[in-house]
Amino acid sequence: MKMNRSDAWLTTSQNEPRGYIQPQCLDELWFHTGTNCNLRCPFCLEGSKPGDNRIEFLTLPDAQRFIYEALELGVKKFSFTGGEPFVNPEFIQILTEALDHRPCLVLTNATEPLVNQLAAILPLRDKPYPFKFRVSLDHPDPAKHDESRGKGNFRLALDTLGRLYREGFDVSIARLMLAGEDSAAIDQAYAPYFQAAGIPDDITIIRFPEFHLPGSFPQVPEITEICMTRYLKAEQRAGFMCNFSKMIVRKNGRCGVYACTLVDDVSGYDLGGNLKEAMEERVLLGHHRCYSCFACGASCSEGV
Amino acid sequence: MPDTGYRSIRLANPQGLMRTLTTEIDFEISELLNLVSKASRKGPEATMHELTVHQTHFLDDSLFELQLERGTVAYEPGACVALFNGGEESRPFSIAAGTEETLLRFLIRRVPNGQVSNWLACRKPGDRVRASAPFGWFRPGRSVEGERCVFIATGTGIAPFLSYLRSNPERLPELCLYGLRQQSDAFNLNELQDTGTLRLALSQEETNDHFHGRITGLLEQLPLATDIHYYLCGLDTMINETSHWLEAHGIAYPQIHREIFFYEDESL
Repeated sequence: MKMNRSDAWLTTSQNEPRGYIQPQCLDELWFHTGTNCNLRCPFCLEGSKPGDNRIEFLTLPDAQRFIYEALELGVKKFSFTGGEPFVNPEFIQILTEALDHRPCLVLTNATEPLVNQLAAILPLRDKPYPFKFRVSLDHPDPAKHDESRGKGNFRLALDTLGRLYREGFDVSIARLMLAGEDSAAIDQAYAPYFQAAGIPDDITIIRFPEFHLPGSFPQVPEITEICMTRYLKAEQRAGFMCNFSKMIVRKNGRCGVYACTLVDDVSGYDLGGNLKEAMEERVLLGHHRCYSCFACGASCSEGV
Repeated sequence: MPDTGYRSIRLANPQGLMRTLTTEIDFEISELLNLVSKASRKGPEATMHELTVHQTHFLDDSLFELQLERGTVAYEPGACVALFNGGEESRPFSIAAGTEETLLRFLIRRVPNGQVSNWLACRKPGDRVRASAPFGWFRPGRSVEGERCVFIATGTGIAPFLSYLRSNPERLPELCLYGLRQQSDAFNLNELQDTGTLRLALSQEETNDHFHGRITGLLEQLPLATDIHYYLCGLDTMINETSHWLEAHGIAYPQIHREIFFYEDESL
């Protein structure tokens, strides 16, 4: 449930007004499909693993309720993340509903749960709106990818990525961003793999900085109101996901609207049970992951 | 429309800014966040099951069937549950029981130094085991109502197919290939043979009754048709080789369903 915010939320440890975002629009609505996943990656931003139910499976009736409310608020896109979305037993039905109304983006590890449901996925090409997959390929080195995601899963994910592209779906990848990396060089290192899989080498690559495990509290600088105005331009502030999107998370048998895709481990970011009220809530940038967005310009969104 | 609420902000106390940027996060808010985070983690327990051990039945030192009282657990063939080791470590195991049985059956291979399989192997009747709600994406026989299907398994990968056969005795697959090192490794062999669809491949034992060699040596016996769904479960090399073989013989990739339990050179 929505939390009463104390002074600790409103001000920093130095008693300065905490930085915030006053949301302007709901362009993109994210759905968390549940933390149940077929893989057990040690760095998972959500702590997902097989059988995990920290965040419960999103249900079709829940999704329908928020899809229709979001349409009333002018949403332009629906996006889905997990866990692994294709582990959710109702996910294909949810996607079928969403694709009747807006373009959709699905974040997936592109392994067995997706592969086993290809027969049901392929007909979704014929829906009114397009459907894009973002596949996790953590490193351009298959061995490094498989260290965390399991043996053979780089090859399987790449193979699935190629199949999806050849079947007419738009695709992108997500990878881990290392401190001090040469980003362009690392992106370029994917090219031979994309070529082998029959994928254009200019597909979008989303880089994720270190966000730390859910429930962890790494020490990061605090963001004040002044930080937001002195170091960021209006355009950069508008690029914060909490400005133009929200995420639906199901816990304890009810769905809450969260400020973004990365703060569901703190119930203070549960902005209530409906989108309209949630959009009026000022988002205080007090989560350590807010600092990653502030410092790195990180975003889960691919635009709308 | 205002710019994210900042247009009217007055810049004040700029000297404090850099101090704030380099200050470690305040313990008070850290503790607060910790508390609300813990509170938000009560959910999973509500959908977990505490199941009672009925018995463990060992085939040999490393292979055993764990039987748990079913309680209120509902599932369909192919479903897994994550079983916990008395602490926070868990591993997914496929249910081998039919959907109408009163026991949940799991076929388990003890993994050297495995934190969960070895703990489960030591359970006695009446012990309690924590289990997640059933889940899964590998659904033998479910893709299309009345579909034709073929099952191919190695080792404990037979579990989801046993669950299907026990749940749907009237809807048998066209063929069930089962690969093992030796016949004594087989779970429920008589029950499988009674279906009349079984072909056994024994890689390390010669007998008069069964194929001697790797299971992929039986692929030429597979019925090939565009309306058949092929379900592969068990060892990664078997699954990859069989999948490539089927595609090379004209089977569309979406007709090939796969679930890896073990890797050729290491355990999951």
